[in-house]
Amino acid sequence: MNETEDLIRIENLGKVYDTGAIKVIGLYNINLTIQKGEFVAIMGQSGSGKSTLMNILGCLDRPTLGHYYLDGVETADLSPDELSAVRNRKIGFVFQSFNLISRTSALKNVELPMTYAHVSKRQRRKRAMELLDKVGLSARYDHQPNELSGGQRQRVAIARALANEPPLILADEPTGNLDTAASVEIMELFTALHREGATVVVVTHEEDIAEFTNRILRFRDGRLQSDKRRNEQGEWIETLESLEQSIDTAKKVEKKEETAHV
Amino acid sequence: MFENISMAFSAIRANKMRSFLTMLGIIIGIGSVIAIVSIGDSMRGLMADLYKEVGINRAIVYVSYAVDEYRSTDYFTIDELEQIENTFPDEIPYLDFQNSDLQDAVYGRNRVKISYSGVNKGYDKVQPVNIIHGRMINEDDVKNRKKNIVLEKKTAIKLFGTDDVVGRSLRTSINKDLDDYYVVGVYEKNLSAFAAMMMGSSGDGEAYCPYTLIATPDTWHFALNCYVAEDIDQDAFRTKFVRYIAKMTGRPEELITYYTAKEEMGEWDMILSTLSVAVGAIAAISLLVGGIGIMNIMLVSVTERTREIGIRKALGARTRDVLMQFLTESAIISAFGGFIGVLLGVGLVSLGGALLHVAVVIRPSVIVMAVSFSAIVGIFFGLYPASKAAKADPIDALRYE
Repeated sequence: MNETEDLIRIENLGKVYDTGAIKVIGLYNINLTIQKGEFVAIMGQSGSGKSTLMNILGCLDRPTLGHYYLDGVETADLSPDELSAVRNRKIGFVFQSFNLISRTSALKNVELPMTYAHVSKRQRRKRAMELLDKVGLSARYDHQPNELSGGQRQRVAIARALANEPPLILADEPTGNLDTAASVEIMELFTALHREGATVVVVTHEEDIAEFTNRILRFRDGRLQSDKRRNEQGEWIETLESLEQSIDTAKKVEKKEETAHV
Repeated sequence: MFENISMAFSAIRANKMRSFLTMLGIIIGIGSVIAIVSIGDSMRGLMADLYKEVGINRAIVYVSYAVDEYRSTDYFTIDELEQIENTFPDEIPYLDFQNSDLQDAVYGRNRVKISYSGVNKGYDKVQPVNIIHGRMINEDDVKNRKKNIVLEKKTAIKLFGTDDVVGRSLRTSINKDLDDYYVVGVYEKNLSAFAAMMMGSSGDGEAYCPYTLIATPDTWHFALNCYVAEDIDQDAFRTKFVRYIAKMTGRPEELITYYTAKEEMGEWDMILSTLSVAVGAIAAISLLVGGIGIMNIMLVSVTERTREIGIRKALGARTRDVLMQFLTESAIISAFGGFIGVLLGVGLVSLGGALLHVAVVIRPSVIVMAVSFSAIVGIFFGLYPASKAAKADPIDALRYE
């Protein structure tokens, strides 16, 4: 047990979507830990539950069952505003469609998380300029998103994700809207951040993007199917132990759902 | 807060035309409120000026029209006037019959119709008379029924070709007494354009003469024109004086009319106030409509910017942050509209004032109130769209295309 090193700890986590008439199970009994400094890819087809997990990891959504500890904080019971604060301090988001605020300069976009963290204007500006410099865009700080290329926009988004020095960088299909050259550029940037010690989790469905990371979590039909890590020789080793146990608890979830229904 | 304001301005700039159209309701509403209130204030100011010229403490006293038939005792004579003067020397500093006589005056080949106003001594103490040459009618003129007159400047120029005519005489007939009358003074009339308009002008010449030239011991006069001292209890004096006149005329007190300029001014004031309230209500409705316009456009804006709201929430914006952002935006749209409305209202009223040569009264408090009120309208009508934005679920908002 080296709990202090666990950045993410998920215990018996389940997610059920209640659409009124029917209940859809998004995730079955997930158990998972990610340690500080890891570079992880979450993979799976659409409908595999990877987006659901991504939303829960990002504190945008709350699990129906189980526990999610982020940096030692249980997030299941937090109010929407408390979740906002957690997202602000602990998570740096990078999205597929960049999600920069339009008609707003790159600098202002990078400053935004610091604005909500009530960082002084002077410090905000200084840090944002440093971050833009880090991603190689300090010359374009006053450009608006529509004046930047896709790769440049994503780099601004990465600078923004780093603004409050969050312990976790969460990237959802960060290269989905980019060509190969820009994709490689972005993944190399993530690799560099990882080398500096950052914890980076990338959600993707592309194998060659996952190849940049050191651990691949595969999801299928709402279950964690495989957990491969790279060994010292650079080979992928399967490390998922309790596949049966996972299915076992999943049944319990279903049962609980049934009783809840009655 | 500063961030919210700068964000609001950039959002407004991004949609200039839409923001302007949204403001238009508020602009028209506030503009009309300012215009109406200022017109009302200016009119009131003019009325006050006008009545200062007429005399606020002037009372016209006569036996009411309600009597079945007038008797000779209902009228006043010079003896009675002097009796009143002696009874109320302090309360009534000036008293006359307010009578006049319109007659032809001749000098050489010039002939001018002149309206002679019969005045008592000390008329210039209660009314502004701007003597430019010579003197005003005095006690000696009145007591000894001197054929002295004080000519109005323009009348003097018409008749004599010059205004410095003190010591000259003209031939005229006052109270059927054709004789030479001497000019002892010349005065200049300086009524405001508005007062002149309200009082009317016949185009005849004007002059003052001793009232004793028009009123003789055997003539009867209908009304008393009193100037009441300002520093006494007006209501108490009124009661006392009405009782006195009732006794003098042998009529009950209810049949004595005591009409003051103040009352007339009060009536005007009431008309203006009623008018202000009525038009103010219409303007308030237009503000309401403007507010609904703001709410409508803010709802559209919130829907359009759902994704932006999602991004902000993902990056750590709390419910309050989003709420404040949109509230600030609607408040600024509305306050800015109010500000333009103030400029429009003030501009229109000033232009109107300049064209009519009338002094315009614009109260700063009205402007402050109008702008604050429009900001409140913006906040009130922005509340629903802003809370809708603030409550948005970040996942749904991020997925919004």
